[in-house]
Amino acid sequence: MGESKPDILQGTLDLMVLKTLEAMGPLHGYGIARRIEQVSGQTLALNQGTIYPALLRLEQRGWIKAEWGMSESKRRARFYSLTRTGRSRIAEETRNWERVASTMALFLAAPK
Amino acid sequence: MDLVRTLLSRIAAIFRARPLDASLDEELSAHIDLAVEDHIARGVPEAEARRLAMREFGGVTQAREAYRVQRGLPVVEQIRRDVRFGLFQLWKSPGFTLTAILTLALGVGANTTVFSMINGLLLRPLPVPQSGRLAVLGMNVGGPQPSYSFPAPLFRALERRHGAFSTVFAFDRSPFLVKSGAASEIIFGQYVSGSFFDALQTPPLLGRTLTPQDDRKGGDPSGFAVVISETLWNNRFHRDPAILGRRFVMDDVAFTIVGVMPRAFFGADPLQRPQIFVPLADEEVLGGDRSMIKFAERAWWLNVMGRLAPGATFDQANSQVAAASSAVLHEAVPDGKWVAGMEKRHFRLSAEPGSTGFTRIRLQFRKPLVAVFAMCGGILLLACLNLASLLMARGSARQRELATRMALGASRRRLIQQLLIEGLLLGLAGTAAGLALAPAVSRLLVAVLLGGRTDTYLDTSLDGRVFAFAAAAAILATLLFALVPAIKATSRSLMDRMKDGQHSTLTHERRAILPRILLGAEVSLALILVVGAGLVATSFLRIYNSGVGFDPRGVQNIQFRMEKSGLKGDALISFYREMGQRLRQLPGVTGVSDAKIIPFEGSEWDPDLPDTRGTIHDTYANAVAPDYFSTMRIPLLDGRDFTWNDTPSSGLKIILNQAAARQLFPDSDALGRSIRLDEGKKISVYQVVGIVADAKYDDLRSLAPATAYFAIPQFDGDGSPSFNAVVRTTMPPGPLASAARAITAQLAPSVPAPEMTSMQKTIDDSLGAERMMTMLAVFFALCALVVVSIGLYGTLAYATARRTAEIGIRMALGAKRAHVAAMVFRQNLWVVMGGAVIGLAVALVATRALASFLFQTTARDPWVIAGSICALALAACVASLVPALRASRIEPMSAIRCE
Repeated sequence: MGESKPDILQGTLDLMVLKTLEAMGPLHGYGIARRIEQVSGQTLALNQGTIYPALLRLEQRGWIKAEWGMSESKRRARFYSLTRTGRSRIAEETRNWERVASTMALFLAAPK
Repeated sequence: MDLVRTLLSRIAAIFRARPLDASLDEELSAHIDLAVEDHIARGVPEAEARRLAMREFGGVTQAREAYRVQRGLPVVEQIRRDVRFGLFQLWKSPGFTLTAILTLALGVGANTTVFSMINGLLLRPLPVPQSGRLAVLGMNVGGPQPSYSFPAPLFRALERRHGAFSTVFAFDRSPFLVKSGAASEIIFGQYVSGSFFDALQTPPLLGRTLTPQDDRKGGDPSGFAVVISETLWNNRFHRDPAILGRRFVMDDVAFTIVGVMPRAFFGADPLQRPQIFVPLADEEVLGGDRSMIKFAERAWWLNVMGRLAPGATFDQANSQVAAASSAVLHEAVPDGKWVAGMEKRHFRLSAEPGSTGFTRIRLQFRKPLVAVFAMCGGILLLACLNLASLLMARGSARQRELATRMALGASRRRLIQQLLIEGLLLGLAGTAAGLALAPAVSRLLVAVLLGGRTDTYLDTSLDGRVFAFAAAAAILATLLFALVPAIKATSRSLMDRMKDGQHSTLTHERRAILPRILLGAEVSLALILVVGAGLVATSFLRIYNSGVGFDPRGVQNIQFRMEKSGLKGDALISFYREMGQRLRQLPGVTGVSDAKIIPFEGSEWDPDLPDTRGTIHDTYANAVAPDYFSTMRIPLLDGRDFTWNDTPSSGLKIILNQAAARQLFPDSDALGRSIRLDEGKKISVYQVVGIVADAKYDDLRSLAPATAYFAIPQFDGDGSPSFNAVVRTTMPPGPLASAARAITAQLAPSVPAPEMTSMQKTIDDSLGAERMMTMLAVFFALCALVVVSIGLYGTLAYATARRTAEIGIRMALGAKRAHVAAMVFRQNLWVVMGGAVIGLAVALVATRALASFLFQTTARDPWVIAGSICALALAACVASLVPALRASRIEPMSAIRCE
């Protein structure tokens, strides 16, 4: 296990994927994983494999869609992009997450 | 919304698992390749780059598994796997699978068949709006069950004071003679009262329905109206759109067609498909001299039903008609003597729920059908017990497979689920096979049940109720036969299983009690069914062979309809006399006579005859021509037969059978004495000229009743009474029938072509219910024997096959072959004996329920019971002998080497 990096809550990853796609446009799985690692500044122990179930979950909800395309290095890869529904849900999901985060902050700041 | 979308997407994925898997694999490998490229671009050597990429990705297998769980529905996937595995398992042992499916098909098929008949006869509501508000009316006159046939005046009184009913209506089936060209044809229809259609609330396809205005003497001012069925419109008028207002002649009376009813409408008798609906009042015109309406309170013929008024309940309706009984009686019938007679018999009206309409056949078949249904339930239970014991034997043969799967982490719940799914597959296949067979079998049974009644139709089609029943039976059966073995097979702890070798569990198993209880129960159940069938069959044979007092073989009855012939008095008598002489000359004819009533055909004539002390006796009667007794082979014991010279002017003569002679003249010889018969208008005196042996009249089950025979040449019927020619012949009936038609056409063209029926068939048909029950009971008993044999054979064969090594060792140590065979055989012996003893005990109690069906047979008939036990023992011996002999042929060396 080595150094302890926090595991990510389910749902958190979903929002990260959505924000990544919002910022970067269509991207393949590896690209999304790299981007999340970079943004989080290597503080998260992200097994890159775990984003695939998350991607599928978002796809099943109809928030993102996937298409086969070519990477810069001319390799066949599956590119994910936001759907209209997905784009409209980001704001709400963000608010939800902020509510959770601020609630957590209240608990953590509470005097002992 | 998201949930629904996700679910749909998951369900869709189940059907595309393979392409989706391939796509995922490609996507994951692309991910790794991209990562490797990335690392190489940053200057990492290739081997190291791949290692790094894999580490960053985490477990590929785990990711794929997590992805699959997210993609599909795990439960469904699991069930799909279980189904495939189950199919494979069943495919591997086709003998077992086929046996199981056939057993179940028999069980479910038999139940569904009989249920579909019960459904058609007793359960299916009439296809009319709010059939739940219909009621059937009955008259209680002291009998065990009410009479459902009303005289017309009583119905009319009820129609006027309907009380808790919005309407009261009546109907009766009737044949109608229709002229088409020169030939006449009979179509079946119903007389219906004015509010019949109003109560059944079904709109016509064309025109209008009949109304109370049509149901009046003389009909509507514009003439007699009728409504026809869509079938008649189709077959006779080729869907002519100008049908309304057309003339339609029946029995020489002109009617006007005013409406056409849709095919789905058949009135209130579920077994009739009337082609034509005629206003009740017109019966007086069409019936002629034999009009039931003219007979007033003496003819009981109308089925009466009612529709409850809004808000009224059955209880209210019932108590209201009961309370009105006496008033209705007095209002309807002016004959005070008759009313007093009814009141002495505690005349009371009653109403009962009638959503399924009314049909007379129901009264006759309800009990036998329910008894047969109980037998079917027994067969299904037997099939389940049989499958359970076979599955249990299989379960112990599969112990190692189950133990291995448990060791690999399968939960017990998963294993039970898998075994249940295997059972369910068997259940589905068996049910499907049974359902596929059901329609053909029910057609066969219906043919037996209706016994050639051409105007009757029993709808046994598989409707929703039948399917629901079959599904319930199948599911219940599956749970019954699959759950116990599944629980049993997975019950022992893993440690036990792993410790045991392949064969060390055997001693333990051989002592296992549950399989033996199952087998024993099978044997008991089979014995009960066999005893029941034996009793029913014995009783049927005794009825059949009890003798009718005459010799029906070779007797044909030719039925003439004379109402419209115009022949009266002497002309009528000479027609019959001439007809007899012509028929006698045909080849093969050994005797010809005539009779008013054909025995067992269902009609009765019972005048009141006084005995020597003046007491009145209801005595059956018939009117016969000379030679009747010799033609029927009824011995003439004393005196003489009638002759054609016994005319009305030569003094009235009568012949009595022995029972009547004893009843009317208890003290002395009847011959030569006279009987005074009060015929209402006048008193006639008959002289007894002969005594004949007893013959049954219309009931095979009871003793021959007291019967008086009048002479046809002296028959005092108003108008043109119809008689039947009675012909004894050694020839096939075909030519006789056509000869009779030809002679009729020659002698009197105005007489419609006669119908011919064989006396034997008339008797057989009167036993329809008994015959059906006997056939089914014997069939089910044979099935029970086969099923129990399969069970005994199957379980023993399994157990023995798994003891091959042990038996090999025994034989190597010197056991004789006969000894081995006996050892194996003995295993079933105790089960069979135990089961038989219990079965016998239960049968002795249970067959008492059959007592009311039995004729001159007690429910404990020792011969039947002994025979049943022998049959069962024989079947069990054969089933057990085969595995025993096979065991005795085991070669010790090869058997031991197997280990």
